[in-house]
Amino acid sequence: MEYDLTQKTLPFLDRHLIYPLLQFLKGRGVYNDTELLQLEYDLLKDTNMTDYLVELSKELGQNDADLQAKKENVVKTLAELEEATKPVFEVLENPEVVSELKENKTQNQALLTSKYGLSVEQINLLYKFGQFQYNAGRYQAASDILYHFRALSTDPELVASATWGRFACEILTSQWDSVLEELGKLRDSVDSRSLDPQQQLHQRMWVIHWSLFPFFQNDTKGKDALCDLFFSSSYISTIQAACPWILRYLVVAVIAGGHPHTASVFQKRLKDLVRVVGQEEYEYQDPLTRFVKSLYIDYSFEDAQNQLADCEKVLKQDFFLADSADAFLESARKLMSQVYCRVHQRVDIAQLSQTLNLSQEQGEKWIANLIKDSRMDAKIDESDSTVILNHPSVSVYQQVIEKTKGLTFRSSQVLNQGVTI
Amino acid sequence: MSRFFAGGSDSDDSSSDEDLYGSGSESGSDFSQDEQDGGDDNDDDMSDDSMFADDSDDDSDDDEDLGGKGASYFLKSSTVADSDDEEDTGKKTVLSAKDKLLAELANCSKLIDNGKRINDWVLIQGEFDKLNKAMERFTKQRHGLPPKVYIQCIVELEEFLNTQLEDKAGIKKMNASNSRAFNTVKQRVRKNNKEYEAAIAKYSSGGDVAEEEEEENKEDKPKPRAKDEFVLTAPSQASNEEFTTVGKAGKALVSPTDMFKTLKTVLESRGKKNTDREDQVRQLENLLPSASTVYQKISVYTMLVSTRLDLSSASAALAPENWLKVVGDLNDLLSILEENIDTYHVIETAPEIEDVEKGPVAREDGVKLIPGSVASLVERVDDEFTKALQFMDPHTTEYVDRLRDETKLYQTLLRVQMYIEHVSDEKDTLGLARILVRRVDHLYFKPNNVINMTEQIAWGGVKGDSKATPRPTEKDLTSSTYPTTLISNMCSVLYKQSNTVFRTKAMLAHVYHYALNDEYYKARDMFLMSHLQSSIASAEPQLQVLFNRTLVQLGLCAFRSGLIAEAQQSLQEVCSSPRLKELLGQGLAKYAQAGVVDKQRVLPFHTHINLELLECVFLCSSLLMEIPFMAAHNTSIDAKKKVISKLFRRMLDYHERQVFCGPPENTRDHIMQAAKALQRGDWEAARDLVCAIKIWSLLPNPEAIKAMLTDKLQIEGLRTYLFTYWNHYSTLSLSTLADMFQLPVKDVAAIVAKMIAQEELPGSLDQKTNSVVFTQAVQQTKLQQLAVALSDKVIQLAERNERLVAGGYQFDKMTQPQKRKTQRAR
Repeated sequence: MEYDLTQKTLPFLDRHLIYPLLQFLKGRGVYNDTELLQLEYDLLKDTNMTDYLVELSKELGQNDADLQAKKENVVKTLAELEEATKPVFEVLENPEVVSELKENKTQNQALLTSKYGLSVEQINLLYKFGQFQYNAGRYQAASDILYHFRALSTDPELVASATWGRFACEILTSQWDSVLEELGKLRDSVDSRSLDPQQQLHQRMWVIHWSLFPFFQNDTKGKDALCDLFFSSSYISTIQAACPWILRYLVVAVIAGGHPHTASVFQKRLKDLVRVVGQEEYEYQDPLTRFVKSLYIDYSFEDAQNQLADCEKVLKQDFFLADSADAFLESARKLMSQVYCRVHQRVDIAQLSQTLNLSQEQGEKWIANLIKDSRMDAKIDESDSTVILNHPSVSVYQQVIEKTKGLTFRSSQVLNQGVTI
Repeated sequence: MSRFFAGGSDSDDSSSDEDLYGSGSESGSDFSQDEQDGGDDNDDDMSDDSMFADDSDDDSDDDEDLGGKGASYFLKSSTVADSDDEEDTGKKTVLSAKDKLLAELANCSKLIDNGKRINDWVLIQGEFDKLNKAMERFTKQRHGLPPKVYIQCIVELEEFLNTQLEDKAGIKKMNASNSRAFNTVKQRVRKNNKEYEAAIAKYSSGGDVAEEEEEENKEDKPKPRAKDEFVLTAPSQASNEEFTTVGKAGKALVSPTDMFKTLKTVLESRGKKNTDREDQVRQLENLLPSASTVYQKISVYTMLVSTRLDLSSASAALAPENWLKVVGDLNDLLSILEENIDTYHVIETAPEIEDVEKGPVAREDGVKLIPGSVASLVERVDDEFTKALQFMDPHTTEYVDRLRDETKLYQTLLRVQMYIEHVSDEKDTLGLARILVRRVDHLYFKPNNVINMTEQIAWGGVKGDSKATPRPTEKDLTSSTYPTTLISNMCSVLYKQSNTVFRTKAMLAHVYHYALNDEYYKARDMFLMSHLQSSIASAEPQLQVLFNRTLVQLGLCAFRSGLIAEAQQSLQEVCSSPRLKELLGQGLAKYAQAGVVDKQRVLPFHTHINLELLECVFLCSSLLMEIPFMAAHNTSIDAKKKVISKLFRRMLDYHERQVFCGPPENTRDHIMQAAKALQRGDWEAARDLVCAIKIWSLLPNPEAIKAMLTDKLQIEGLRTYLFTYWNHYSTLSLSTLADMFQLPVKDVAAIVAKMIAQEELPGSLDQKTNSVVFTQAVQQTKLQQLAVALSDKVIQLAERNERLVAGGYQFDKMTQPQKRKTQRAR
């Protein structure tokens, strides 16, 4: 499959996050199923999900002796870790302790060490335990443990690492609200921490890829948040510099994201999107970006229409986008007819429906709805089967009034802001 | 590198400095500052010097009169001189310059002795100064090693000083002027004696015996050592024939001791005025056959190469035959070094050799280190080559002939590179970088097949392999990717250097190479990510020139790829400048006094970018952008202010003002007439005119360029036509337009749609009749136009205020496409 991005995105995902992607690819006919199975096995080989691995190896017809040994080992380690972290949990379950804990972590630590005999090593064991649970596929448990760990630990490295871990756990357990919360924390830490630029770039790329999960598997609100994140200046430059294929998701997010905001926000995003797509044309192209380009840069409706047909295929094959395919196509058609109507005075309904991949009757309905929704100054001429669009020229007075209307308000806002500063 | 490009007239000094160090197989580190000062003093004594030079002329005349006697004449005269000194008879003998000096020296030393006896330090100071002055002249006239009299005197003086120093009471008793003089002498003696350490050491080791001997055998035959001294230092005026005879005779006689003495003399006289360099070269050449050990050979060759290079001056390059000899010598040196790579290393970081004659002491692993720098030698050879090309008329066959030598030079560079890689530390890549930057300099502007050729020849004559730039296989040398890999390899070493000059140069050369090979996006991204735009203004002129060249090449590359707007943008600044030639390092500033340094900045002709082609490309790009732009803004009030290319506008105005317009003669005429044609909407005439320009044939694949231009002319012609004539139509059929500009209807529709959507054209499309329907715009009054303009301005103001309040004094970065790539690197 020409436009499959799995291979590009895999290096930026955690192995546990890759797993759903592989599941999705199975039976899509893009890759060989046995290869996928093998890949899945290799992927999970180093994890602690032994039961599942045994099943997999059976499917692949491999010897599972090693796995049995490993399984025992895992169980043993798990018991050990559980034993070791017991005191920590005991302390934490004590309501007295919770009430005593304060904002300041260093103080907390001192308190715990002196009063309850919890050493830093014990707390760090918590981290290990959490990681182990995560590797074993028990995400909920891992998430809880890491949550506690983060509250107690003062080591910034480990805390950052724990945040990543929790982020993954929440994604895998589909706790979207806490995912967004974790994402916010991650963003802060990535942006604020004084990493060297390359490391920061890498971390941003991880954030970008990981956040595809919450944003696309969530409802439309997710797409909106995704736009906010990806269009922020540091992230858009990361996308442009290091992972231009993300543009596909951005295109879908903008176009299929609906228009929850005012039209101006949408227009601004669209403008940014068109610019970025145009700039990165030489580095990344797929039907989706080409659609944007032919509609908004070349104004070639024929091309746009052709690309739209391809888009559907691409969308259906993409793990993240499959659910948004319909919304995207619907929105794309709308945008296309909007632009179409903007430059045309008289449109043949038959031709328009063809352009939109609709039957004539559907097309007429579509047009009628469009006129109603966007309150265009347009009429359908039934006998001629055309739509007549009026483009009244705005008088100069109107123009000047329009332009200067908001100025007083804006100025007073500026003044307010100035005063507060 | 930086040292050589430091610019200014001091570049010469610095390079010679380095060579002094480089060839310093026996140079004392103390040589640097004191000697330099001495040299400065000498300038004042110019008149004296010339007097002495005259004397020596007389002398040599005598010499020729005496014919075959040659050396023996001198020997005799020297003994005469000696006896003169001793007896102090004041006979009126015609003395040679040397003898005179010797007499002076002896006289001074005697007076110093007197001073010592009566403890008169004022006298001693005066005499000591005189003594040293005489000594300076002595060295300058290359009479060889310091004479015994002198050494004896300074040694005794030091001893006396030391005894005096112990006598604390004595010092206290001295009167003010005397003690001041005492201190001065003390300091000067110390400083001075250091210079002659070697001679003093020798003197004090066998000093006593020799001293006595000398006194006893005053009338005796000269000792062989003295004889050698004369053989080696025969005056330059001596006829060649005579010289060779002596040389042959002396061949067996040149002992290592004398060899190093000669080397030292040569070394000391370097960089001074009135030094006959050719003579020195001859001396050194004569030493070659008698150099028997590897160490000696290396010493002599390093000295010979650098001395030969001294033959050039700031205003004239080394003669081709001399240059070839230098390369030959350098290659010989390299051969010796390569043969003995396990025993001898010439590196810059080697410690000073304690005993110059015996050579360096072996390290634990058996490798003997000789301080010196092959890199700086080859760098100077390279500089001389460039200089030669700069001073040559590029349109002669000699220039081409000279260019052929580049392959030799390149090969030598390669050899030196491999040698340095082998010898120097893994971590210390500075030496390697110095060579690599030269190689990059020789390659970056060449097309791929030429690079392949150069590489093939260079590797053909060289054995071994290199880590930084692995030996290419047969297949590599025919592939088109090899040059890019090679340049990347070399640049990656340079990027790691701490010196920014290396990095900048590598970066620019790399970009230039990509641009030359039509990799526009790669080149542009690298260029923008290098952040050079911000820092280049403070860089050295050479780097600025390279920057401009790269920028221009980037523009040409964009043009070849059909990216007209990008091409125009890249070329705009450089091409519109009246100092175009100067900016590209292809000519000197007009009306300015061009110094030697300025001339050196001009690049050799074969690296030049064709200015006519550049102008042609720039004007064509401007034409394609400016003409529709002019048509679109013809009616708006600030049409005059909105200009893409001022230069183009100016030329167009000039063209329009001409009373009679003949058939186009040069490139500019072609383009201007094409512009007029395009304004009329006659794209075919424009195409014919543009395609008739002959200079396109200089670009690779001219047909493709012409096809690209035709495409663009069609589109821009259509746009111009619509902008210019739309208000004459109420509807205009797309098929008519398609016919007119020979474009597919689909494309015409897309172009028109775009114009409508961007509100450049008032009107809309009618799908049913497939035509454009123009809405006849209500003619705005002047007041209305101004009102609209004013409201725009007010909005701008408001937005600016908002941004300022929002805290960022920065403007919205996203709206600045230029800065985009800069951000990327973060």
